[in-house]
Amino acid sequence: MSDISVGLGEIKISNDPGDVLIGFGLGSCIGVGMYDPIARIAGMLHAVLPVVSDNKTPSPKYTDSGVQMLLEQLLEAGALRSRIIVKMAGGANMLSSPGLSSTFDIGTRNVDSAYDTLKKLKLKISSESVGGQIGRTVRLYISDGRMTIRIMGGKERAI
Amino acid sequence: MKKKLNEKFIESLEELAKQGFENAAEGFSGMLGMTLAVYEPTVSLIPLQDIPHALGGPEIDAVGIYLQVAGEISGHVLLIIPLNKAFEMVDLLLNEKVGTTKKLGTLERSALAEVGNLTGSFFLNALSDQTGLSSRPSPPAMMVDMVGAILDVITSLAGAMGDEVLMFQATFIIGDRELNTDFWVIPDATTLNKLTSEISGNHTE
Repeated sequence: MSDISVGLGEIKISNDPGDVLIGFGLGSCIGVGMYDPIARIAGMLHAVLPVVSDNKTPSPKYTDSGVQMLLEQLLEAGALRSRIIVKMAGGANMLSSPGLSSTFDIGTRNVDSAYDTLKKLKLKISSESVGGQIGRTVRLYISDGRMTIRIMGGKERAI
Repeated sequence: MKKKLNEKFIESLEELAKQGFENAAEGFSGMLGMTLAVYEPTVSLIPLQDIPHALGGPEIDAVGIYLQVAGEISGHVLLIIPLNKAFEMVDLLLNEKVGTTKKLGTLERSALAEVGNLTGSFFLNALSDQTGLSSRPSPPAMMVDMVGAILDVITSLAGAMGDEVLMFQATFIIGDRELNTDFWVIPDATTLNKLTSEISGNHTE
């Protein structure tokens, strides 16, 4: 069994039942997991910013292009679109002090961007743990498609 | 906008930052009542992906104190301290025996926020003194969370600018007690331009 770290702006895919995809310490970033339970293949996106702007190249750094790329890569790897289960976690607002600019709703904007993109792709979210003011470590188990979160000082729990 | 940062520019920034950090350490020392040393002040371009690996990794529990900076110099200041070191710091601040503080209540949080406020302001004052550019820090915002989550504040800001972030960074050490406080300063792109012209201006004088 190996732990595969999904870094900032990365997508990782695996079909090894022993693997666990992990996004460590997500704050405003968002972790989106997709899983095909029959093909037993899953992938995770760790996106930083909500939307790719016009002059930038689409990449997994952005939630909108990242979600799309995650889906494409999963399909390419043998997943079937109709079987895909989507789970996501993260998108917290780490700073909520009065007097700070709204730059910091970035967590909320990441979550909204994921909702929008998934809606466009006609994919439903089966479970989520998003928002709030708390960082999360997100795990996606290839063996059964379980997504878990762990917060500071807490135990890992399935969502 | 992609700016080529040559070595000379980095060196000049480093000199600028060094005085800022030393001034910050002085403020910090004054507050803790003991001498604080600045260790390895650096100015560097860091790839976005490497940011969460500061301080021993993204899952380490930590305290982050953030100041937003507005004015002619604008940007972001983040002081980040591993949680156990933050406890030690609170003990020093509140004149308690080291090992007394085990959680962060209102008093402890405000003491730490003040540390961030003071060091940040001292750093910015030094920068303003040297450049003649004004700066105005926001009140400190506290975060107690995993390193990765705290640093998302920086990654989201930096990510919007590019794939690398220019960062002033230093570690503070008290005597033989390494407080491992990482002090991150991220200037906005407009501020970088101003600093560039300030520095090149100085060179022609």
